[in-house]
Amino acid sequence: MSVQTADKAQPDARDEKKERADKVDFKMVTFSLGGKEYGIDIMNVKEIANASRFTYVPNAAPFVRGVYNLRGDIISIIDLRTMFHLPAERKNDDSLESLLILRIDEHVFGIIVDNIDKVVGVSRAGIQPPHPIFGDINVKYIKGIIENQGKLFIILNVEKLFSLKKESDAPPPVARLAAAFAPQAPAVDQAIVPVTDGNVNADFIMETLFAFRRFGVSAINDAWFRARFEEWSSTRKATDVQLKEPGEADEFLSTFYSPCNGELWSEEYSAAVMAALPPAQSKSVNVWNPGCGKGYETYSLACALRLAYPEARIKIWANDSDLLAISMAANMVFSAENVPEMYRDLMVQGRNGLTFNQTVRDSIFFEFHDVMNSNPVPPVDLILSRDTVSFLSTADQRKLLADFNEKTKLGGAVILGANERLPMDGWNRTGGEPVSVYVKGA
Amino acid sequence: MRVEYINPFVESAFNVMREVLNVDVKRGELYLKSTSMPVMGVAAIVGLAGDVEGRVLFDMDRPTALKIASAMNGEDITTMDDLAKATITELANMITAQAVTKLHELGFRFDLTPPAIFTGDNMEVSNQDVEALIVPMETPQGKVEINVAIRERA
Repeated sequence: MSVQTADKAQPDARDEKKERADKVDFKMVTFSLGGKEYGIDIMNVKEIANASRFTYVPNAAPFVRGVYNLRGDIISIIDLRTMFHLPAERKNDDSLESLLILRIDEHVFGIIVDNIDKVVGVSRAGIQPPHPIFGDINVKYIKGIIENQGKLFIILNVEKLFSLKKESDAPPPVARLAAAFAPQAPAVDQAIVPVTDGNVNADFIMETLFAFRRFGVSAINDAWFRARFEEWSSTRKATDVQLKEPGEADEFLSTFYSPCNGELWSEEYSAAVMAALPPAQSKSVNVWNPGCGKGYETYSLACALRLAYPEARIKIWANDSDLLAISMAANMVFSAENVPEMYRDLMVQGRNGLTFNQTVRDSIFFEFHDVMNSNPVPPVDLILSRDTVSFLSTADQRKLLADFNEKTKLGGAVILGANERLPMDGWNRTGGEPVSVYVKGA
Repeated sequence: MRVEYINPFVESAFNVMREVLNVDVKRGELYLKSTSMPVMGVAAIVGLAGDVEGRVLFDMDRPTALKIASAMNGEDITTMDDLAKATITELANMITAQAVTKLHELGFRFDLTPPAIFTGDNMEVSNQDVEALIVPMETPQGKVEINVAIRERA
């Protein structure tokens, strides 16, 4: 009896599935971007075109290639690959780019893609929601995934992608899902809790370090702290372990700082940093340097990048909340004996001493800025933050690291201080002592 | 905010106020703020555009505004009338314009919007995602806060 019912039920289920797949109620234009297949709802696509020689618009966002005259209508052209930080081959000016002309509400504009494939009809019921750990494209811009003839297509939500309205405060359902599943965020939350220890002395030192020097002991610097505490208590008398004044806190922290702190990086250190960094992904390198202090490390990194990638467009956003330090940074003057040889070619002799040349200076924006406020930097390839995160409260550390995670492009890197560790999933440590570099993995 | 922008605003605020009020002006400690902040009662706002986007807000309480307007006009003004408003607007315009001129000499291109003035009680300015530099100025007429929020265009 039971066998019979099973037999009957199975073909039913198969029919139903087949029927569902057969019913075509969603058509999409498919195309490829960076080797992957994507689709856009055909109702948003006005036409398909090949074009070139777009008119450059100054001051536009980097992903705007320019404007184009489409039979008398001026439309803006957006390069989807740049928008999603995907590799794009730069064609020369005359060769044609594949364009999808989209219409969203009343707005018409073109998007550049690698290759336009064809129109595919699918069943709406077969569209599956995007998985929150999707790679290259922010999950909130993905409507869903559909399988068609053995290929998976990612359907973009162009309304959301190009809508002129600001997103409302309530996160869209997909983003909420993403927040629930996002691997990094909870990991950070767990990792960065104030570390406590059974040892009363250690706990007390943690508190005094924060009180005197705002040094927050957490997973970032825990390894160093424990080793240092051992060393500290073994060299001191039992009654003399505690830090009683800021001077002692400084002494305790003296082994924490990274090499070449408060001076230009030595050639060895600079070479070690560059060796640990992943190769540049494109012709433009964006760097964020929170907590740049007087700017020594900013200039050092700017020079190292300039020497490694002479052709690249390098941009560094360097900020610090210490007004006095940062005000000096923009016009720093060096005396010749303090400057390692490798920097000489990038410097010019000024009235008061050596300064960096205009190219180097133009590549750096020094900003008076508090990283706890919103950080308006664009997505970056590299974050340079040596011995900065540690000098925040644990709650602030958590927020800043979440920002690091959000602002770094895939394959980008974070340089931390020599004794700092990045307690987040999805980041791989590269480089040996004394360089602490983490690369954001796929 | 880029460090190059800070000094022109501080200097021109200091110079213009000292000049038009003909008194000793003291500058307070600069600081950054990003949360919404209460407006003291009279606020003149000048928009900035060009290489950057942003705004400069001149914030003071009503008695201070009246005293400054009186000092600038050389007559006693007791109500927030058109003349008083125009005077405060002009002060905002002068300070911002001088700062922008200085920035222009340094190679930064800024455009100004005509100033606007807001008066009222219990007002609050909030743009959460912009960080503002606060330049407090102490004058014998009262405290004026200059609130500069500028960001680079991405």
